[in-house]
Amino acid sequence: MNAIDGTDRQVRTEEGPPPSLLAVVLDTNPHAWAHLSTTLPFSSCIAALLIFINAHLASGNGNEVAVIASHTHRAEWLYPTPHTTNSPLHSYSTDTTEDGTNGVAQRDPKIPENPNKYRPFATVEQCLLSNFSSLLNRTSETHLAATPTTLIGGALSLALAYIAKSVLRHSPVDTGLENPLSALADSESSHATRVPLTSRILIVSVSGDLANQYIPVMNSIFAAQRKRIPIDILKLAGDTVLLQQASDATGGVYMKPEQPEGLLQYLMMGFLPDATARRALVMPGAGGVDFRAACFCHRKVVDIGFVCSVCLSIFCEPNLPNNLCLTCSSYLSLRAAQTATPALVQRVKKKRKKVGAGPATPGASTPAGSSTPVHR
Amino acid sequence: MSASSSQALDYLELLPRQTHTKLYEQPSTVLAIFRCMLPHIAKTIVMGMLYMPTPFAAVDLEAWFRPDGKKEREKALAVLEQLHIVASQQDDKRQLSYTLYKGFARSLRQALEGSGTHRSFGVPSSIPDPNRVTIPFLEEYARSQWENILFFMVGSTVGLANANQLGNAVGEGTKALLKAGDFIRISNGRVSITRAGFTFVLQETNAQVWSLLIVYLKHAPQLGMSETDVLSFLFMLGSLELGQDYTTSTLSPTQLQMLEDLSAFGIVYRSSKDARTFYPTRLAVTLTSDTGALSTSDPLKSSPVGSSRPNANKGFIIVETNYRLYAYTSSLLQIAVLSLFTKLTTRFPNLVSGKLTKESTTRAVKLGISSTQIVAYLTAHAHPQMQKTQPFLPPTVTDQIRLWEYEGERVETTTGFLMKEFNSETEYRDVLSYAESLGVLQWKNDSKRLFFVDRVEQISLYLQKKKSRV
Repeated sequence: MNAIDGTDRQVRTEEGPPPSLLAVVLDTNPHAWAHLSTTLPFSSCIAALLIFINAHLASGNGNEVAVIASHTHRAEWLYPTPHTTNSPLHSYSTDTTEDGTNGVAQRDPKIPENPNKYRPFATVEQCLLSNFSSLLNRTSETHLAATPTTLIGGALSLALAYIAKSVLRHSPVDTGLENPLSALADSESSHATRVPLTSRILIVSVSGDLANQYIPVMNSIFAAQRKRIPIDILKLAGDTVLLQQASDATGGVYMKPEQPEGLLQYLMMGFLPDATARRALVMPGAGGVDFRAACFCHRKVVDIGFVCSVCLSIFCEPNLPNNLCLTCSSYLSLRAAQTATPALVQRVKKKRKKVGAGPATPGASTPAGSSTPVHR
Repeated sequence: MSASSSQALDYLELLPRQTHTKLYEQPSTVLAIFRCMLPHIAKTIVMGMLYMPTPFAAVDLEAWFRPDGKKEREKALAVLEQLHIVASQQDDKRQLSYTLYKGFARSLRQALEGSGTHRSFGVPSSIPDPNRVTIPFLEEYARSQWENILFFMVGSTVGLANANQLGNAVGEGTKALLKAGDFIRISNGRVSITRAGFTFVLQETNAQVWSLLIVYLKHAPQLGMSETDVLSFLFMLGSLELGQDYTTSTLSPTQLQMLEDLSAFGIVYRSSKDARTFYPTRLAVTLTSDTGALSTSDPLKSSPVGSSRPNANKGFIIVETNYRLYAYTSSLLQIAVLSLFTKLTTRFPNLVSGKLTKESTTRAVKLGISSTQIVAYLTAHAHPQMQKTQPFLPPTVTDQIRLWEYEGERVETTTGFLMKEFNSETEYRDVLSYAESLGVLQWKNDSKRLFFVDRVEQISLYLQKKKSRV
């Protein structure tokens, strides 16, 4: 009878969790997969990933998926297949089906009829496999010889762009297609109250040494952070500071399985829960996160670097050409800073001793040191 | 899990274990149940356990959840046990652990992997159909069939002139079914709609289809059909592809018989009674999903731009804080439904406008429509512009509609079970908290150790388990 005062005017509008979009960035770096071939061949990784994607699609009726390959020389869409031309018949009919990521996802007429397979699953599998084999066919030896690493930054940007587009498409007001700009402004304001689509990115990474893409990856991380898109990392081999930071900054899951053979179970337990389920679950954390940055001049991970006072670019050595910052070209003389470096290191050591010694009050542990006069 | 699938879930939960086991032999059924019947957390648990080589210890499961997720965990496990998906067992050291039932796990894996030779996702016809039909035709067919049924129900109440003529379009079998489900009463050849019927009409199309199908299921044994067969066929229909023709040669006699009934509802289309193929319509393929079936019932929205946005073409009603109501529709059915509880004043080619008044609301209440139904209908069909705010409807309007109803009736009834005579305070507290976590608790009195629940199956199971543990 408490209902009579009308305080619970929320008339059971809960329709279950909002649909969830999972963007998978698959690192297809052949060099790294060759290293892994004894424990986890690439084919079984793809098989596990497909089952995981099916499980994701089955977990919610509106769930969508996007798969991007981050290859050595380019980032490539695996699913949905990008189409430049839309046949009007298809765009009319695919809107409410599971693969209805219309515009990009098209029902491929070549999908073999298999009565043992749920149709949306077959669509994803067919697209993914055919796109991947065509990507491999287009990869030449010169591409492979050129670089040992992978274009994770480009793939991340593709994923973010796709998510942004999907969020617009899911917003309740039908303005997106005629006037994209107004929809953009609209989505900013309505986003706070109503989330029509939750998205997340999963990076399956095998390559180490991504420091040479520090800047694009960091920018993507900040974009994801702002849009509240968690970036989950499944690190099968190699270790990079960068991706650990990505998951830490965006609130995603970071996992480095000790036994890559059990990939599927890791995926199912650790990465399948979407934002709604994660609220009730204890998600695996990264433990200690390495927050070191990579310098902008040589893309090396540095412990201590030099920072431009204007644009906050990081450099590993003070000898800049013409004393100009490489990023913003403002005058930046780092020679004066160079002498101070040893002092900085020393001070850190001193501080630690002090804390260990005991008499220090919390106030004393701040680097008051010699520069600030202290009342006694 | 939406309202539409929850009533199917309620039905499924009450089935005995043998039926469940038989149902779970079909991967398509298992997948459909997984996709649309299970609570979200339950899906997560099932997926976590699916490829786990050992039983999932209860301690580990608890550790996986945050302390504040306890309620959701209990609820999910209760549903899973009720549906015979997860079994709990105690090992020698009295440690509780959970396993998936073998049949369910095998079928779900087959569904995800696409393996096996069960052919349960529908066998497409190999012979090209000479008179193949297009998707727009199927949409139109489904829409007209379904709206005929709804018209037949509300027509007499609203007083449409051509109600009788529309009634003739509805088959005798459908009429009997509506009567059996207590949606309508026929006295002296005049059709009058019941309270349950109003609930039916005011639901979303998807929920309507399920309501009708559940009535159908309950009467299936009388027609000599097995429930399992009927259910698996329905779930298979939900996983088919719109616009594709499927062969009837692999169907069982029961399912062939069903095809005829289903084509009367507009759920499948057959070119003739003895055609060798059938086409699922939009009503069928959305059985196991929440996307609004029959979204095209508003002809204004059939432009290609509108249809490319999944959520956009649902709502058409705008309600203002001054109780004025504008509905962008030209569908006679929707206008008829609206007129049940609004005072409509003007009609334009694409718009009707009116006002929610005390008079119109109390009239609706007298007919047997509750305020919750009105509010739910308005919310479900709120215009996208209204959907930008949360809640969709102005609170003043929802409150007022409710107050108008309460003026007339001050007592609300809930059928259920009274739990009493607990031995100790701790036992009372324990069972009470379990009932609360399941969300079945309606009322309690701590000093007398009484409480009232609307569902009792899981609590009795819980009590039995408790007894066996002592």
